[in-house]
Amino acid sequence: MSEKEEYQMPEKKKSLFKFGTREVVYSAIGAALYAVLTYATNFMQLPGSGNVAMRPAVVIPMFFGIAFGPIVGFITGFVGNILSDLLSGWGFWFWWDLGNGIMGLIPGLISVAIIDYKAIKSLLLGELFVILGAAGGMGIAAISEMWVSGADMTAVIYANFLPAFLTNIANGLILLPILMVAYAAVAQRSGRQ
Amino acid sequence: MLVSDSTIMLVTWRYKYRNSIMDSIDPRARWIFSFAFLISCTMFWDARFLIFFFTIAVVWYTFGRTKWKETRHGWLLVSVMLFSMIVINTLITGGGAGGVVPPGGHEVWTQGFTIPWVNWHVHFGLTAERLWFAICQLLRLGGISAIFVLIPYTMDSRSYGATFHGLGMPDRFAYTMELSFRFIPTLAQDFAATLDAQKARGYEIEKVKGGLFRKILRIAPLIVPITMNSIVASEDVANAMDLRCFGQYKRTWLFKLKFHWWDILLIIFSALMLMGSAVAAYGFKMGNFWVPEYFINLLVG
Repeated sequence: MSEKEEYQMPEKKKSLFKFGTREVVYSAIGAALYAVLTYATNFMQLPGSGNVAMRPAVVIPMFFGIAFGPIVGFITGFVGNILSDLLSGWGFWFWWDLGNGIMGLIPGLISVAIIDYKAIKSLLLGELFVILGAAGGMGIAAISEMWVSGADMTAVIYANFLPAFLTNIANGLILLPILMVAYAAVAQRSGRQ
Repeated sequence: MLVSDSTIMLVTWRYKYRNSIMDSIDPRARWIFSFAFLISCTMFWDARFLIFFFTIAVVWYTFGRTKWKETRHGWLLVSVMLFSMIVINTLITGGGAGGVVPPGGHEVWTQGFTIPWVNWHVHFGLTAERLWFAICQLLRLGGISAIFVLIPYTMDSRSYGATFHGLGMPDRFAYTMELSFRFIPTLAQDFAATLDAQKARGYEIEKVKGGLFRKILRIAPLIVPITMNSIVASEDVANAMDLRCFGQYKRTWLFKLKFHWWDILLIIFSALMLMGSAVAAYGFKMGNFWVPEYFINLLVG
């Protein structure tokens, strides 16, 4: 191989549900990151819209799902939400923790299909699954409120689902491509595939 | 607490040892009780059953020996949630009661009422049934909240990994939880350093003008470096774990858990509560929404 020739990393086949040592560490880092960023942005009183809570950190489980698989995405969202609630002293709300986990799991389902993180196709696919993830995750969490509080579907959609879903997709759609492009550079530099 | 305009960012857990009854209960028994309570309580809308569960929750809450000053942040969130569900959804719009309260009912204030000073005439069709349902919601959600709000303040953060392992979660998952607790202080420090570095470059997060999208976009200079640095650093952690044969053998835990006789009693009580509730609700069809006659007479006359 001449010096001018660019070295190509051998393509490793990604496994969708692999959960080895690396995935353990990525999940733990993702969960801690999600908790710290959520906690930090709560206290910084981000200029948001009205009473809708701005939570830009929701992009973390989505991104970790896409980069490292659905299990990592799920644990990042699920454990991260538990940790941020523990830090804030907000208690333990299982169905919202589960919803956050699903918000990371669904985008993770396309992790095997994404090789080049800065390709337009990958970015669009990521954006599509951000919407599906937010819809699935927040949908399950909101429907659980019917079971717990006895509210009807209309009340749950307007009071629980829509505010959470709309802010989450806004944060996800804007921040996910930025993280994916940044990760493409990191992956290329370190030889990750 | 977090100080965003300082070079030091402190993240502290809410737990502290209080020498309380709760401190002596095994965390596994506590989780089993908490979930048994949640499932049992959500089988009923009858206030007579809900008073029973609410009383249990209040007794359980007092076991924690927490002070109002410590838990008020958690209760503030619960209050917002209860206000939105009970006052707005059930009393004002009626949507929150649609899933349980049958349509119709005995209307309270059939003529409506006028708000003094502003002279607004209000008629929102509130019924005695919806009002009673609001009381039931308060009992049910208040009880569930009392059980779960207590957790951050009374459960040792070092115990989570061992606890979930003890509850049957695979080692790798339980250790992920343990590890994430350990990463929190490091990442909080990274966050503070990144914020300071960006501020030194003229980054002003507090004074952002523009619409919602622009505001979200402005978070990127904070989120991207922290995330990428964490991913790069995680390689070293993973390699170190692999070198120590992580996952090859059965894991041991630094935090030791031991069941006492009172933990066993609590688990038996939880199981009986769950089974009793299921038999009452599904076997005998008890615990459906019910409004006492005296309540309707009191309001409607």
